[in-house]
Amino acid sequence: MIGTVVRVGLLRMWHGRVALLLDFAVPIAFFTIFAFIFGGQVGLGKSPRVNVALVDEDGTDLSRKLLEALAGQDTLRVYSPEGGEGGATVFAEVGPARELVLKGGLPLAVVVPRGWAASFLGTGEEAADVQVLADSSDPVATQVVSALIRQVAGQIRAEQARQQIASVLGPSAAPFAASAAARFTRPVGVEVLEILAAGKASPVVSMYAAGIAVMFLLFGAVGGAGSLLEEEESQTLERLMCSSLGMPRLLAGKWLLLTIVGVVQVTVMFAWAQLAFGVDLLGHLPGFAVMTVVTAGAASSLALALAAACRTRAQLNAVAIILILTMSALGGSMVPRYVMSGTMREIGRLTFNAWALDGYTKVFWRGLPLRALLPEVAVLVAVAVALFALARLLARRWESV
Amino acid sequence: MSQSPSTRGSLALRIRDVAKRFGSAVALDGASLELRRGERLALLGPNGAGKTTLVRCISGRAVPDSGEIEMLDQPLPPSGGRQRLGFVPQEVAVYPDLTARENLEVFGRFHGLRGGDLREAVGWALAWTGLPDRAGELTKTFSGGMKRRVNIACGVLHRPLVLLLDEPTVGVDPQSRERIFVMLEELRDHGTSILLTTHQLDEAEQRCDRIVIIDHGRVIAGGTLSELIEGTVGAKRRVTLRLAAPGPRPEGFRAGAGPRELVAEVGDVALELPDLLDRVREAGGEVSDVEVRAPSLHAVFIHLTGRELRE
Repeated sequence: MIGTVVRVGLLRMWHGRVALLLDFAVPIAFFTIFAFIFGGQVGLGKSPRVNVALVDEDGTDLSRKLLEALAGQDTLRVYSPEGGEGGATVFAEVGPARELVLKGGLPLAVVVPRGWAASFLGTGEEAADVQVLADSSDPVATQVVSALIRQVAGQIRAEQARQQIASVLGPSAAPFAASAAARFTRPVGVEVLEILAAGKASPVVSMYAAGIAVMFLLFGAVGGAGSLLEEEESQTLERLMCSSLGMPRLLAGKWLLLTIVGVVQVTVMFAWAQLAFGVDLLGHLPGFAVMTVVTAGAASSLALALAAACRTRAQLNAVAIILILTMSALGGSMVPRYVMSGTMREIGRLTFNAWALDGYTKVFWRGLPLRALLPEVAVLVAVAVALFALARLLARRWESV
Repeated sequence: MSQSPSTRGSLALRIRDVAKRFGSAVALDGASLELRRGERLALLGPNGAGKTTLVRCISGRAVPDSGEIEMLDQPLPPSGGRQRLGFVPQEVAVYPDLTARENLEVFGRFHGLRGGDLREAVGWALAWTGLPDRAGELTKTFSGGMKRRVNIACGVLHRPLVLLLDEPTVGVDPQSRERIFVMLEELRDHGTSILLTTHQLDEAEQRCDRIVIIDHGRVIAGGTLSELIEGTVGAKRRVTLRLAAPGPRPEGFRAGAGPRELVAEVGDVALELPDLLDRVREAGGEVSDVEVRAPSLHAVFIHLTGRELRE
């Protein structure tokens, strides 16, 4: 009897070979995606690199030496206006670099302040640490760069100390000078300035709220759009097509409902984030409203296109799980995109999760005005229109045969 | 819901030489039929004969490859232009998680009803289906027969002049079937012309004015029950005599299902049956039972479409 139960299960799995294939393919697909995210781009031969701007206000040989050493690190990609790898720019003033970080062009800037060399050598009147102007939406980058600065500046200091000791004791004392310099030199100070964090409570929470909200917005929309397939199965769709309704109005009605439900869903999520974690929803209502409406609209169009493309509810569920989890993983809903390599970040931009999250980050984290949302809004509206048109095209199979 | 005098007497539906293929499969192969005003027409056929495709061509869900369909003397476009047509699908195509009243309201709206007209239509439909007391209950809690009644009501709220029903009574008990046909007769009395597909031959026989039989995509017979019988198996009664013991077979009889059965065809039972009984008695047989059966639609159907299973 037990064997028969097993046999029934195996036979049913065999007859549903697509579902069986998905059972094996989905875990492999997600393992691969996360391996790419966390594994330093398996197979691509590149490590994740942090984009930084360099500012030399000190203008000394020592500061130039420090920044050149930093620019030579594999972990960093130094900003250059042309975007070229070779043409690294070192700003003389902090203003432009600060502006780049504020607008989200870079996660951080390294500033060597005036008087740093003197302070570093112990000849200055005041201490002047190297500053990291950080966009805290990317805390990993801040930690990485701070550690690098300490390492590189520490090596310079040790070299300086070794040369001083050797000059006093003579060339024969070089080995001793090196070990003494390494043992007795002071640690190098790095000051991290959170230039976007001022006055913000739970700054990273808004990013996670947006990430989770967008992912579940997609799941919710697909669930709702699946009603089309249920209506097809029960012949309700056939009855609707025989009424005065027509397919364009049916799809428009479904889209509007899904969008309204999506907007409410995301709003409730952020309201909870405000109540429980202090995310400033009320302070960013216009930007939130714009981003939420266009994101919910795009999610609704995607869900309708998927439902129109699939033949059964089970097929829709399987496709939706793969697509939504992949988009969420690549687009930053599961793992912040700042931990990904540059290539993975670029791939992520093919998903509308990434555009939506970039928009929410501009609203909640950078506090940028509405006009700054134009690229994200334009992309999401274009996606919504294109996918709705696709859904309309695919839905022709329900109209007449 | 009365019929306008200007259109009385013309055809509700005229279908001429309609053909439809799905790939290499021929679903309709020049099907033709007429539905008269105020008529109840049964469309019979084995599985896969083309009934549903024909109904879909009329409802606009399938586009014929060739042929013509006219409704109320006007050509029907491939889609649209069907405001005076009602359609009731075979499945219970209502929203199970809406109440009966809510279902009627939304389908009334989908058929273009608003305001007072909608309220009046919903009130009429609830009374017509005998469900005014259950109007506020979710339809998923209804019995099969109640769901069927709501299903039909949702297709006639806009008072169509022509109504298509695809197996409206499948899976319901005799009481619900009776109720459904009373509802349909009420519609017919108000001028609605009804075309229904069914596998229930007794429904076609007893509840419809005419019968059309379709097979292999073509209409192979049509008319009243007596016309169909006359044109196929003939109007003679079949007399089956069961003998107390196996015996000789007198002239005029053929062998029945068993050794004790004799079968004969008679035109007039009262005149011919005594003679049959005398002949058996004279041949030494003793009759223990007599069965007289009139030719039925079942016999006509099998005669026309054969006994081969259709999958």
